[in-house]
Amino acid sequence: MAGEAAKEAKPVDVNSAKYKLGKISSAAYADALEAKKKGVPVAWVSSNFPVEIPETLGIATVYPENQAAGIAARGAGARMCEVSEADGYSNDICAYARISLAYAKLKSCPEQDVAMPDVLLCCNNICNCMVKWYENLARELQIPMILLDIPFNPDYDVPQAEIDYVTAQFWDAVHQLEELFGLKWSDERFQKVSTFSCRSSRAWLAATGCARYTPSPFNGFDLLNHMAVMVTARGKQTAAKAMETLSREYEANHRSGTSTFRTEEKHRIMFEGIACWPYLRVTSTGLKSRGINMVTTIYADAFGFDYNSFEEMIAAYCRVPNAINLELSRDKRVKLCKDNHAEGVLVHVNRSCKLWSGFMYEMSRQIGEACNIPVVSFDGDQADPRNFSEAQYNTRVQGLAEIMEAAKSVKGE
Amino acid sequence: MHDLLNRFHEIAHSPRAQLEKYLSQGKKAVLTAPVYTPEELIHSMGFIPFGAWGGDTELKRAKEYCPAFLCSIVQSILELGMAGAYEGVSAIVIPSLCDTLKTLGQNWKYAVPSIPFIPMTYPQNRKTDYGIAFTKAGYERVIRDLEKLGGVYDANALRRSIAIYNRHNAAMRKLEKLLAIHPEVTAAQRSDIFRSAFFMDKEEHTALVEGLIAALESAEPSVGELPIVISGILTDAPALNDIFDSLGFQIVADDVAAQSRQYRTDTPDGQCPLDALARKFADMDHCSVLYNQDKPRIQNLIDIARARNAKGIVVVLTKFCDPEEFDFALIKKACERAELPLTMIEVDRQMVHFEQVRTNLETFRTILQF
Repeated sequence: MAGEAAKEAKPVDVNSAKYKLGKISSAAYADALEAKKKGVPVAWVSSNFPVEIPETLGIATVYPENQAAGIAARGAGARMCEVSEADGYSNDICAYARISLAYAKLKSCPEQDVAMPDVLLCCNNICNCMVKWYENLARELQIPMILLDIPFNPDYDVPQAEIDYVTAQFWDAVHQLEELFGLKWSDERFQKVSTFSCRSSRAWLAATGCARYTPSPFNGFDLLNHMAVMVTARGKQTAAKAMETLSREYEANHRSGTSTFRTEEKHRIMFEGIACWPYLRVTSTGLKSRGINMVTTIYADAFGFDYNSFEEMIAAYCRVPNAINLELSRDKRVKLCKDNHAEGVLVHVNRSCKLWSGFMYEMSRQIGEACNIPVVSFDGDQADPRNFSEAQYNTRVQGLAEIMEAAKSVKGE
Repeated sequence: MHDLLNRFHEIAHSPRAQLEKYLSQGKKAVLTAPVYTPEELIHSMGFIPFGAWGGDTELKRAKEYCPAFLCSIVQSILELGMAGAYEGVSAIVIPSLCDTLKTLGQNWKYAVPSIPFIPMTYPQNRKTDYGIAFTKAGYERVIRDLEKLGGVYDANALRRSIAIYNRHNAAMRKLEKLLAIHPEVTAAQRSDIFRSAFFMDKEEHTALVEGLIAALESAEPSVGELPIVISGILTDAPALNDIFDSLGFQIVADDVAAQSRQYRTDTPDGQCPLDALARKFADMDHCSVLYNQDKPRIQNLIDIARARNAKGIVVVLTKFCDPEEFDFALIKKACERAELPLTMIEVDRQMVHFEQVRTNLETFRTILQF
């Protein structure tokens, strides 16, 4: 402690992307709590629900997945999961859902309190588990739920029938919310929100795309933190501006030869899957200590909602990572690996996410073959700390490092 | 009656022989995966819809594709497919009603390339006009894929198939009611009746079921000592049914996906049979894989138990089945409120030892007898 106290505190740069993004993230929860006090309706929203709807209508938002990740990262994942398990929820169920259902019961968690909802906005383009989770929230909290159903698309392209179906639901959701809370849709406001959302997305894609540089101007674990803003605030002007700052900073890092990955970048990998929030430090250190930078992840793509028309917006929501078939999922990742010169893939087989993990074995085999790079997996969980073994993680990462090292030796690098 | 029950047993336990029989007759078969597929449509296009709900088997090769925490029904379908148990069929139709089923279709393409995968994408907002239109578009996709395999779509043929299926539904519903007052039909035999339906042409199965109905109607009704309702996805494990029977439980109703949930909803009349079939899906409910924010399934289960004078409910939870696991917490709460005894047993397709299940059910029996 004495050593840490002796360190000179770094002055906070209020113009930095890190500061701006952190402020937006923390403000999201405070804003919703404040809105609740003022009588503004609050929605609990799933992460890939079209943010354009609540943002245009002026509904305050809370993202339970984001809350659960925060709770897990701060060490309360198991405690909250156990509350739900005591109510009959199997520990096989998604840990985000268990944490969220526990919060709905307790209405308090010092690790991340949120405003309680007046409505639930659910979108299942990430998984059907989301539907079950929100159904139960709706029953337990006795509040309405609006489901925007975006089915898993078994084809490569989004069929017109799906566009039509989702479009009809989009307007149905808007009308239901107008009726529930006496709100009025404004096309003008929608245009503004869309513009901000697209600006945020373009800047996010530009920032994450800076990983194409060798060495990368950023530590991939930064993305896990910054992603929260893309989830919760991408339709806001502040988010667009902060993301543009981030992109500029990464470009500047590249020009000046610096990076937020503060050690020699010996290897570059793609990380596949949701982060192990309870073990963020362990998983990060396991890589960094071996000079491995996670330069890319599908999160880079996941929140890149850039579109030029209403129909393109709908199609973008139909094309989020967990709503697409194996071939498109594979091709997106192969592109990320190739664009960003990944030398290996580290796959998180996430106990909480059956959909993400369910065809991961075959997909990662195909990615490895297409890119001629090694693929290694480890078992873990996005929020339940009981499903992760640090020893297994380190062994697997060590194995990956050795294979990448050997591959470099063969190439004479 | 004995002969009929033996026939159901024989068919339920020899799906490959059934499949061979149809194939040797020059018929084509299409596998239908859980939980709901448009069987009427497949039937109308000249194929025998053949149920693929997996089997009680050790998972080996499926592990090349599936992490351990996927439900064993889906994993065993893949295992059987990879082992060649389904060779000879023309295709498999897999709906996307749960996350694990979505992954089954994607893995199937690479694990069992000899059997084409036909997706059936259902909407969850299925009751609205736009939902019905989307269901219809999904059926049209199935039609296009089946046409590539030699199937022919004809509206009149679909009307005839719908009539055959509606008659089968009615027979199954009638039989299910009769079984509540005929404890002489064991849990194992009851399971065979439902399971055999997946492996038979529906007209043939209807004939057998109607024969059994006639036999039961001429027999003296009675009530078992331990009437229960079972709920879950699948309850066909012989060892499980042996335990129900040896402990004296009588299944007076079920809320099981592979049993009564298949037969609750008929296709309504309509000008266009494909529209009518889409409307059938819109009308379906009371199931863990069908979205309904009011969760009427929970109260429906309590109501069934009350209506059939059941002493308790046994939830047979297929391990790693998210939709059922979410519903269980609310079922538990509702049963506590209704003061209706409830127990939950976990099963999976790989289970060899059922002693834990037996102990659980022995305790439950004691509670019900108290």
